[in-house]
Amino acid sequence: MVERVREVLEENFPEIDFDSSDELVDDGIIDSLSIVGMISALSEEFGVTFPYEEIVPENFNSLESIAELIERYQ
Amino acid sequence: MFQMSYNSAGFLIFFGAFLLLYVLMPRVWLRQAVILAGNIVFYLFAGGKSLLAVLFATTVVVYAVSVLMGKVYEGFEAETAEMKPKERMQILPGYRKKAVRYLIAGIVIVLGILLYGKIGRLAGLPEVVSFDGLRRRGMMAVLVPVGVSYYTFSAVGYLLDVYWRKAKAERNYFLLLISMTYFPIIVQGPISRYDRLMKQMKELPGFSYERVTLGLQRMVWGLFKKLVIADRLSMYTGTIFADIGSYAGVEVILAVAANVMHIYMDFSGCMDIVIGAAEAMGVTLDENFRQPFFSKGAAEFWRRWHITLGTWFKDYVYMPIATSKGMMKKTAELKKSRGKRISSFAQTAIPLIVVWVLTGLWHGTGPDYLIWGLYWGVLIIVESTFAPEFRKVTEFFRVDPESYGHRLFQMVRTFVYFAIGRMITALGNAGSFVTIMRSITREARPWVLFDGTILGYGIDAQDMGVLLIAIAVVWIVSILQTKMNVREALAKQPLVLRWIVYLAGIIAVVVFGIYGPGYTASAFVYGAF
Repeated sequence: MVERVREVLEENFPEIDFDSSDELVDDGIIDSLSIVGMISALSEEFGVTFPYEEIVPENFNSLESIAELIERYQ
Repeated sequence: MFQMSYNSAGFLIFFGAFLLLYVLMPRVWLRQAVILAGNIVFYLFAGGKSLLAVLFATTVVVYAVSVLMGKVYEGFEAETAEMKPKERMQILPGYRKKAVRYLIAGIVIVLGILLYGKIGRLAGLPEVVSFDGLRRRGMMAVLVPVGVSYYTFSAVGYLLDVYWRKAKAERNYFLLLISMTYFPIIVQGPISRYDRLMKQMKELPGFSYERVTLGLQRMVWGLFKKLVIADRLSMYTGTIFADIGSYAGVEVILAVAANVMHIYMDFSGCMDIVIGAAEAMGVTLDENFRQPFFSKGAAEFWRRWHITLGTWFKDYVYMPIATSKGMMKKTAELKKSRGKRISSFAQTAIPLIVVWVLTGLWHGTGPDYLIWGLYWGVLIIVESTFAPEFRKVTEFFRVDPESYGHRLFQMVRTFVYFAIGRMITALGNAGSFVTIMRSITREARPWVLFDGTILGYGIDAQDMGVLLIAIAVVWIVSILQTKMNVREALAKQPLVLRWIVYLAGIIAVVVFGIYGPGYTASAFVYGAF
C-alpha cells in the first residue's frame, strides 16, 4: 500500500520529497493546500472518503501514516 | 474608570497582586479558584460590568451544547465499539444528524452575539457596555462585550471540535468557565483551543521561580515593544494620517512603513505580555507570531502573523469546505472536463475567497475591510496557482532561491504586501488606499529627511534615536530567535549578567515608555476587533 500511495502522490506532487521527514506536516513540508490536493488524489485513486476528524497532521505526516489511514477506510 | 489595558499601570498592579496570591495557593483547586476570581475582577474593571452576565451565559450555552453532543457520541461509541472504521463511518451520519441540531443551536446563540455587534456597528449604532446604557439610548445602540471577537471564535471552535469528535466534551463546568473567561486571553487572544486550555487548567502547577521569572521577562519584552516602540511610532503616524492632505512623498511613505511597524510591535507586544502572564501561572498559550516579516510570501506570512486566527480559519472554514464531499465531487468532475490545473485552482480558490471575506469582516465591517480581505485572498490564490511559473522564472534567471539577496528581496516584498494592506484600512474608509497613494505621488519631498523637518511631525530627535535603537534591538533578537531559543539562552547566563539585561529592559520601559495624555497608557489596536 505504501508504494501505491507513493506512486500516486509523487505523480501529483513532484516538488514534494515525501521521504525527507517523518513529520511532513509538522515540519512544514506539506501545507493545508497540499493536504487538500492529496486527499483529492487519494480518494480518486482508492475510492475512499475520510471523516473530517481524520484530517489531522498525524495522519499525513508520512507515507506510512497516509497508507494506514487509507487501509482503515477501504 | 479604572484602566485595565494589558499595558496599563492598573493591570500591572492587579496582576502583581493576583500572581502573589496565586503562587501562595498550595492546591490545584485553590489556584483554579484564584483564576476565576481574577477573571471576574479583570472583566469588571476592563469594562465588562453588566456584560459579565453575557459572558457567563455564553459559557453555560457552550457547556450545555458540548455535553449534549458528547452524550450523542457516547451512544455512537457504545454501538460501534466492535466495528471496523469503515463500518463505523456508515453508522456515524445518523449520530451526526442528532448532534448537528445541538451544534446549530449553540453556534447561532454564540455567534449571534458577535454578529449582532457587527451588524450594529455596520448600521452606525454606537457601542455601549451595559444594559443601562442600552435602555438610555432607547435600544438604539449595540452591546459589545469586551473580547467578544476572540472568545466567540474559541467557543465556536470548541463546539465544532466536539461535533467532529476531535475533542471530548468537558463534563466539569468549572474548568470550561475558568478557561473561557481566562483573563490573559479574553481581550485580544491568542484565540485558544479550549480543550487544550482546560487540560492545563486541570493540572495547574505550583510555584516555580524559573517559570515566574521567564513569564515576567516576556512581559517586560512586550511592554518594551508596546510602550517604547509602538506608542512612539504612532505619534508620527497619527500626525501624518490625521491630516494626510498636507503631507506628501517621503513623509507618507515613512508613515505607512511606521504604521506597519506600529501594528506589529503593538499586537505582538500585547501577545508577549499575555503569554508571559499565563506562563508565570504555568499555563502555555499558543504563540501568535513567529517573525512574520521574515516570510517568503503572502501565504507564509499568514502562517506567522496572527497565527491563531489563521489556524482557526484553516481548521474551521478552509479545510471543511475544501475536503467536503460536494467540493471533492465538483473538483473531480472539473478535472475530467477541464483538466487538473483548473480543478486544483477551483479547489484552492473557492474556500480561500470564503476564508478571506470572513477574515476581512472579522477585522471590521466596513467596505475597506472587505477590500482588504479580498486583496489578501487574491494575493494568496495567485501565489499558489502560479507557483510553478514563478519557480520557472527564478530558474530562468538562475536565481539561487536560498541566496541572501533573494531572501532579502522576498522579505522586502512581504513587507510591501502588508504595507499595501495597511494602506487599504489605515484611514478607516473605502477610499483609504487611493487617498494615501495620491499623497505619496503628489510630491517627493526628499529634503524633509535632511533638513530636520521630519523631526517636527510628532516625534523629535530623541524619539527618533530611541526608535532606531529599539527597533534594531527587536530586529537582532528576531534574527537570533530563528537560530536559537533566546529566552532560554538568557536564562542560562550568570545571575549578574541576566539581571543586568532584565533591569535594562525595565529601565528602558520606565524611562523611554510613552505615557500618553494624563499618563494613561494607550489601548492596543487589536482589542478593537
